[in-house]
Amino acid sequence: MYCEGDSWGCYLPMSLRSMGSDPMERVVKLASESAVVIFSVSSCCMCHAAKRLFCGMGVNPTVYELDQDPRGKEMEMALTTLLGNSQTVPIVFIGGKLIGAMDRVMASHINGSLVPLLKEAGALWL
Amino acid sequence: MANHHIPYALLHGMNVPTSFINQEGSAFDFGELEEAIVLQGAKANLLTGRTAATLEMFPSWPMRYQQTPGSSKSGGESTDSGSALNTISSKTENQFEPDSPISKKASSSYHQAFDQQNLQQQQQQQEMASDPSRTGTSLNQSAPIVKPLQEKKRASTSEKQLDAKTLRRLAQNREAAKKSRLRKKAYVQQLESSRIKLTQLEQELQRARSQGLLLGSSGGGVGNISSGAVICDMEYARWLEDDERHMSELRTGLHSNLSDTDLRLMVNTYLSHYDEIFRLKGMAAKFDVFHLLTGMWTSPAERCFLWMGGFRPSELIKILISQLDPLTEQQLMGICSLQHSSQQAEEALSQGLEQLQQSLIDTVAGGPAIDGMQQMAIALSKLANLEGFVRQADNLRQQTLHQLPRILTVRQAARCFLVIGEYYGRLRALSSLWASRPRGRLMSDEQPCQTTTELQMVQPSQSHFSHF
Repeated sequence: MYCEGDSWGCYLPMSLRSMGSDPMERVVKLASESAVVIFSVSSCCMCHAAKRLFCGMGVNPTVYELDQDPRGKEMEMALTTLLGNSQTVPIVFIGGKLIGAMDRVMASHINGSLVPLLKEAGALWL
Repeated sequence: MANHHIPYALLHGMNVPTSFINQEGSAFDFGELEEAIVLQGAKANLLTGRTAATLEMFPSWPMRYQQTPGSSKSGGESTDSGSALNTISSKTENQFEPDSPISKKASSSYHQAFDQQNLQQQQQQQEMASDPSRTGTSLNQSAPIVKPLQEKKRASTSEKQLDAKTLRRLAQNREAAKKSRLRKKAYVQQLESSRIKLTQLEQELQRARSQGLLLGSSGGGVGNISSGAVICDMEYARWLEDDERHMSELRTGLHSNLSDTDLRLMVNTYLSHYDEIFRLKGMAAKFDVFHLLTGMWTSPAERCFLWMGGFRPSELIKILISQLDPLTEQQLMGICSLQHSSQQAEEALSQGLEQLQQSLIDTVAGGPAIDGMQQMAIALSKLANLEGFVRQADNLRQQTLHQLPRILTVRQAARCFLVIGEYYGRLRALSSLWASRPRGRLMSDEQPCQTTTELQMVQPSQSHFSHF
């Protein structure tokens, strides 16, 4: 769909994943399972922009559409708490570390810190 | 030239609710502005207006209406006006000696008015009689004037024998009614003249805008500018003036070989100055995102190259690369990498916006099965996302500018900002030259000299138009 290869890196059926009852725990767990993780909402156009950004760089992000997950609402709230001040999707983790919402992602790309992070996480080669 | 784009209110130093940077939640009401204009004029001309109205109670005197921009409203006067009336009425009272020729004529006109207004004023009478403590009202002021006339009236034998009190009350009512009518007339006249003035202002605005001298407005006449857009343009004009100042400081700093520390201070100040415009745009995006997206806040030439409500960062960097020789290899790499990242980010945002637009098209195109109201509601919620894109684009611009001093020397960074400022200054100048170019005349070979001199005139001083 979006990238050259198959669709989004991997859409993992979350029901098969372990059931941490704490949504924050789930978020952290999911975030650490792939090099680049984007928590998104399928109808959100800014999320689409974030996906395009990574694809354009040759990175295959793992995308979790929170509106398509039965526990997505809780996770979204947990993420908002994590970020503070009403940040919304898309929310990006690289190498298990929280990068932030779109403006942080943009800022880190411009100031040159995004690419080294991606390389470190093994999402990007050269 | 500086006044052309500053709205009427600012020009006359009126107390307009100012920048929405300070008033985050409240919306600026254009109606308030109009009211301020009316009241301001009213306050300034209250004395003169009231004098005329008071004297005009007696029709034998010539009707002296001054064309004032404002006069009192017919409802509650302030205590200022009350005290003003106190002084006026005491003066006029002295003028009406019992044997003045006015009183006789006045009394006959009273009789004409008497029968017509008797019924209407019964109620007013009651109010008047029962509330002598209302010092602020004009009606009580008329009482001392009326008294001498009342006494005169009773003396004449051809009148009906009415109770003195009743006579007085009735006369007071007539006075009050007359005053009200006169006040209303004055108010209406003032409204009319304001309307004429407004039309004139609109025409001026239209003329000036067609010459490219003004900041853009949304399509159509003055009335179509949203108040958010007006404030945005006002704040932006102010920012541009600051920008000129900063640029000349930078220029002086560069040429006078300031120390690097001092120059860095200047560069940081300039960066904060840029931060200011992005903050302003952020606020403007909340009030009127279309004003930003359509580029109506910028000059026409800049609008031509608009990307998501402002300049395209990668384009700007391209310009800088060409102007910044010599660069070390490391610097060149840094700048090219910046350009590359910027391009990727721009591309991502553009695609996101495209998806939003497509989604909006689908909603608005809709189908027969979709309920109209619901369709609108969905479309509205989608439109709300536009603000997010403009903000991300501005964020990108801001980050790009902040990155420049990190990869360049301080002198080069200073040069960069000067180049940027001058570039946009020229684009603005181009806009106004284009707008004021002679039409219907063939541009022969002799013509270019004229254009060149115009350009030379324009170059040193920058004009007031859009930038980021």
